[in-house]
Amino acid sequence: MQHPGSFTDYAERLYAFMEASVLVDGATPASTTRPSPSFEELATQLFSLQIAHNPSYATFCRGRLKGGQVPETWRQIPAMPTAGFKELELSCLPTAQRTHVFHSSGTTQDRPSRHFHSTESLQIYERSLLAWSQPHLAPDSRARATEPRPLILNLTPTAEAVPQSSLVHMLKVLAWHFAPESEHFLGQVDPQGGWSLNVESFLTPVQRNASPTRPVWVLGTAFNFVHLLDNLEALRTRVDLPPGSRVMETGGYKGRSRRLEKEALHTWISEKLGVSRDHILCEYGMSELSSQAYDSVIPCPGTKAASSSRRFRFPPWARALILSPETGLEVGDGEIGLIRIVDLANAFSVMAVQTEDLGRRRGDGFELLGRAEQAEPRGCSLQSTELAQSSQSPGSPPQADHPNSNLR
Amino acid sequence: MNRPLPNYFLADLPPDAVLVPRMVVEACQSLRRNRQQFLATKTTSSIVQLLADLAELWRQPDYPFRQRALREGPAETGFSAATLEAGLDGFFRNLTVENLHTLIQQDLGSLQRLDGFSQSHSEIQERRSAWARGPELIAHVAAGNLPNPALTSLTLGLLTRSAQFMKCARGGTLIPRLFAHSLYEAEPKLAACLEIAHWPGGSESLEEALFSEATLITATGSDETLETLRHRIPKGARLMSHGHRVSFGYITSEALNGLGWKRLVQKAAADVAAWDQQGCLSPHVLYVEPRGAIRPEQFAELLATELQRREEQLPRGGLSVEESAAITSRRAFYEVRAAHSPETRIWCSPQSTAWTVVYETDPLFQPSCLNRFIHVKAVKDPSEALRYAESARGKVSTVGLGVPPEQAASLAQQFARWGVTRLCSLGQMQNPPLTWRHDGRPALGDLVEWTDWEQS
Repeated sequence: MQHPGSFTDYAERLYAFMEASVLVDGATPASTTRPSPSFEELATQLFSLQIAHNPSYATFCRGRLKGGQVPETWRQIPAMPTAGFKELELSCLPTAQRTHVFHSSGTTQDRPSRHFHSTESLQIYERSLLAWSQPHLAPDSRARATEPRPLILNLTPTAEAVPQSSLVHMLKVLAWHFAPESEHFLGQVDPQGGWSLNVESFLTPVQRNASPTRPVWVLGTAFNFVHLLDNLEALRTRVDLPPGSRVMETGGYKGRSRRLEKEALHTWISEKLGVSRDHILCEYGMSELSSQAYDSVIPCPGTKAASSSRRFRFPPWARALILSPETGLEVGDGEIGLIRIVDLANAFSVMAVQTEDLGRRRGDGFELLGRAEQAEPRGCSLQSTELAQSSQSPGSPPQADHPNSNLR
Repeated sequence: MNRPLPNYFLADLPPDAVLVPRMVVEACQSLRRNRQQFLATKTTSSIVQLLADLAELWRQPDYPFRQRALREGPAETGFSAATLEAGLDGFFRNLTVENLHTLIQQDLGSLQRLDGFSQSHSEIQERRSAWARGPELIAHVAAGNLPNPALTSLTLGLLTRSAQFMKCARGGTLIPRLFAHSLYEAEPKLAACLEIAHWPGGSESLEEALFSEATLITATGSDETLETLRHRIPKGARLMSHGHRVSFGYITSEALNGLGWKRLVQKAAADVAAWDQQGCLSPHVLYVEPRGAIRPEQFAELLATELQRREEQLPRGGLSVEESAAITSRRAFYEVRAAHSPETRIWCSPQSTAWTVVYETDPLFQPSCLNRFIHVKAVKDPSEALRYAESARGKVSTVGLGVPPEQAASLAQQFARWGVTRLCSLGQMQNPPLTWRHDGRPALGDLVEWTDWEQS
């Protein structure tokens, strides 16, 4: 095998790939002086680096790749199950370089996933985040540079209050980038560790700041929105955000009892905030990853027309495979399987992550069906969830609860 | 026998037929009338003979109802034909005149108890007699797709001369329905005292109609389901409920010395494979003591080989994506552990989720995700096993024992004191006899109401 080079060299090549592959304003790829490597080449290089620097992953791969065989394509790179991020320290970073750690949240008693970051790895994370969020959140902003910057209202607590939330970190980076002077984090952390939201903190900036031309972006988890809308409902009020306003909903209910179907939630958001449904964007990400998928309802330059069903797509440097849980083989178009993601931006952790989320393969994207819930019992045997309360311990596998997209 | 079954029961209606409460009420009323006319006057011996003859027919390879069950069963129940065949044969083999007599004698003290006033030995001396009368109409809310519990319920209800309305679960209608049709062919008047129906869970108005007509309601389900049900039982009706249960196996070091180990591995595999582990009598965990010639880890590996062999002869049924995903995700969890610690090992069927064996030194009781996913755990002695199974206490149905005869009595006592309600040999976990006291309660005895007559 060729010498894999250094992570710095890898990052440079990855940036070249990113620049070459993201279409800006529907035009041709941005011009670059650096030759762009292929996805396959980057995957091969990163796999070698991770095997060399991530001992827990290397041990796992030795079990998967019998007789020391080497993956022939990126599809064969052993994927680490999300459970592995709870059990093991999966990082290429020496302890001294770890400046940040993101934990999965969730309300189950089991250990959280951990994703360690350094300055360099966060830089890759941010490059990936901004490159792919731009065409989805602000598809026309470059064309009209004079357009006022949006007012951004994040429904989560601040990054200072929840430093280990990758979701909040993501929102903070987006706010810095798109509206550095006007980011608001409206949520609080209650004594039980849950996130709450004071509706006044939402209404005040909307009423004070909004002008007819300044769009408002409201970003948060699905449960944040349920909470906000419940409060607006209680006050018997609604707001009419200015034209061009957007909502980004990241899925996830953090184990809360009140859940709404996505369709119903979006209809409600549309009614209460005055944002048309085609300006509601869904995001799918995990604390274990460094790239995010967005659904393609907001027409986005460089992609074909928006489809009517919500279909998630990762950026060109991260690919999702939908695998049959029965055979482990890729499913056909329209079929359901477990989502596996190979994320080239996940440089210092593990690039290939096997989630427990089910998705339906749709062309080059997927429809998210969520965490595989424990199937209805067919016989009369007790289900593990019926004993879950008492048998949870470090010795137990995690119980099915909610989609990974919440676990950030 | 490919033509549709005649329309004798509500379950025979086309799948798009909509049931309304009135239909349920009317069905119950005619069941009661038919019972009064045809069933109430039958003798125990004639019913016993009829059931035994029917069981004999079901065991004939060319019996059309059996053939149909094995042909259509896999699609409806999710079990392979081989699994269904093994399970149904187990049930019908037990349904003999002799076994039915033993059951009546055991639960009611005298063979004639259900026919009128009769006396047991001690009652003769006391100059007492008693009559055990069955409920007029039993409503069964059958759970899941395992046919044997449903067939057992119907059998017991026939013995007590009760009209019976069985509401089957999704995927659980075909076999009770075929059994009812086979009864119709043998004795149409008795089959007219039975109703088989299916409706989607949560159809409260249909259930309300059924419960308002029933004298006794039998139900199996989760604690939560049963608790909800309890509040919906009208005054005057009685609820007999069975909660979900788990089971496990226990194998001593002594049983793994000498030549017996091979049979033990086969028996353990039979228990895991039976009914694809869906029943409450199926093991979730096999506890294995470590001092035998075969160590727990080796036992797990041998079990994996045996499960693979069994898969070839007795394939597991097809699964939903969710069920497969549950297995795949569990496997992934243990695979991560196994890669980093010798205290966990895992064996999986290749290119499928057909079977999985997880070995751990950690003795904590771990409920399985089922469908032939078994935990093998090393454990020092029964006390340690019971300590680590505390979370399941009160919910354990069966312990399958792999022990030499001389150890059996003391082990049985220890498990019984802890609250286990059934002990049997490994390999027999899913084959309870007719006389089995379901979760510690007399199955036939619990159905009846007594009239005592003190003659002195």
